[in-house]
Amino acid sequence: MTQQALDVKAARKTFFPGTADEKIALNDLNLSLDAGDFGIIIGSNGAGKSTMLNAISGALPIDSGQVLINGTDVTRTSVDRRAKHVARVFQDPMKGTAASMTIAENMLLAEMRQSPATLRKGLTKARRDKYRDLLAQLRLGLEDRLETQVSLLSGGQRQSLSLVMAVSGEPDLLLLDEHTAALDPRTAAIVLDATMRAVEALKLTTLMVTHNMQHAIDYGTRIIMLDAGQVKSDITGAAKAQCTVQSLVDQFSHKSDHMLLGA
Amino acid sequence: MDVLNLFLSLVPVTLAQSLILSFVVLAVMIPFRILSFPDLTSEGSYPLGGCVCAVALLAGVPPLLALALAAAAGFLAGVVTAVIHLRFRIHTLLAGILVTTMLYSVNLRVMGKANLPIFGEAKIYDFFPFDLGSVNYTKIIIAGLFALFVFVLLNLWFRTERGIAMRAVGSNPDMSEAQGISVWKATIGGVGMAGAFAAIGGGLMVQSQGFSDANMGLGILINALAALMIGEALVGKRTITQMLAAPFVGAFAYYQLISLCLAAGLPPSDLKIATGVFVLLMLAGPELRRAKGPRAAQESFRE
Ligand SMILES: Nc1ncnc2c1ncn2[C@@H]1O[C@H](COP(=O)(O)OP(=O)(O)O)[C@@H](O)[C@H]1O
Ligand SMILES: [Mg+2]
Repeated sequence: MTQQALDVKAARKTFFPGTADEKIALNDLNLSLDAGDFGIIIGSNGAGKSTMLNAISGALPIDSGQVLINGTDVTRTSVDRRAKHVARVFQDPMKGTAASMTIAENMLLAEMRQSPATLRKGLTKARRDKYRDLLAQLRLGLEDRLETQVSLLSGGQRQSLSLVMAVSGEPDLLLLDEHTAALDPRTAAIVLDATMRAVEALKLTTLMVTHNMQHAIDYGTRIIMLDAGQVKSDITGAAKAQCTVQSLVDQFSHKSDHMLLGA
Repeated sequence: MDVLNLFLSLVPVTLAQSLILSFVVLAVMIPFRILSFPDLTSEGSYPLGGCVCAVALLAGVPPLLALALAAAAGFLAGVVTAVIHLRFRIHTLLAGILVTTMLYSVNLRVMGKANLPIFGEAKIYDFFPFDLGSVNYTKIIIAGLFALFVFVLLNLWFRTERGIAMRAVGSNPDMSEAQGISVWKATIGGVGMAGAFAAIGGGLMVQSQGFSDANMGLGILINALAALMIGEALVGKRTITQMLAAPFVGAFAYYQLISLCLAAGLPPSDLKIATGVFVLLMLAGPELRRAKGPRAAQESFRE
């Protein structure tokens, strides 16, 4: 059996079990990614998209099932010990950076996913030069503001920084949860463009949640539709190439009629 | 020597006191500002350091080693507070109060009685080789060297990879965890470090005053907090260097202010209310100013 980059097996997560508010967020969900796969995740609000990413990153322990990364069972592994393999960008630009620290210090923190912190000096000249080069690719001018406190940046700048931090060190798995949804259209386009360039250049295995059907069609190698805590369809190859916004929306309504009404 | 004597005679007697207090201010600043972990444990780890130091000196332990033992005990006290918060999700302030309360009994046990004189024992201040005419000056120099050493060391530490990781945990714990940093280790290390500094303050004080007392920590925390507020007002709190300088500058300014108040005729018994009102005003200041304009983002601290 070939080794999958990601293997989620029968993952189950229930919030408030045994109460009136009981909510099955992941209903024995299965999902596998090969190395280099770029899965675009769609599904209505409450379908379990964020919960699934939380289960993969370790932010939320699942009740039953398994999560394997590169064949290693990480189901019981804490977030900080999965960090070596998993990088994330959240919808909220505030979540992905340390606001009271500088851009350079934040870039250094991202490096710690790959190599744990030592007693050596953190911000060396060599590192500053490297960060300047990485940030210059965004063309947002962040490369000239290495010593600026991140709290002084705009949401778009912070999100761009989060993205550069996430892709630095080439994680085995990149998780993007509606990471452009909170940005204005122009900034969203910049961040999305930077995302696509990084994912392609580094051949990152990626899961990206979006509500934008056009993005699902234009980008990625797979469209993974979630509904009620399960993968309802998984479209790849020729089938994906033939997808239209209309056909995807139709899928939504076929899979569950209440979704469009509820949205 | 005359110039030196003249210069030193102008340095207020309170300088030695403020150098010692600056260790406690540091112990308040590190959890509060760097780890977003407001902590009251220094009220207990300061006397703990004093008691451990006194008992060690009486047992014949050399002064420097006695201070190291005090630091170790203080570190342990900080670790207990941190673990209570991390493991049981008890509010940081309550965790600190619990530990401080329990430490009072521990301190009495360590000493065997409420007050322990150590007049006859060797002190850290005896190390100074020259006679400057007053023991106050040697205290200033020794305590000052300690303070300088710690200030330089902390400036280096918080620029290492680990030091930066520790600061990140205070800034955004979830994000830090996602970068592979253990929130537990950083918090335990940082709050422990603070406990050690408070205890060193206690040890320096006991060796300075020649006795240890179970009640010596009473109110030290509010004094330290007041000093921190003054220090931050004077040097700022944005960069890590400013954060680390504030305790030392603040402790000095605070003691000058206190002696000014006393010189102006304030009865010593009123000092605590004066300090309390002062801290209240400093903490309430941003809120009062904000009441006029739009509400600024609140500082967030751990629950
Ligand atoms: N922390 C939580 N506590 C309680 N319920 C939650 C929590 N997170 C998610 N849920 C519930 O689980 C379901 C799936 O949520 P989520 O994964 O956030 O959906 P999506 O990201 O697809 O919009 C929703 O019904 C939501 O209300
Ligand atoms: Mg979501």
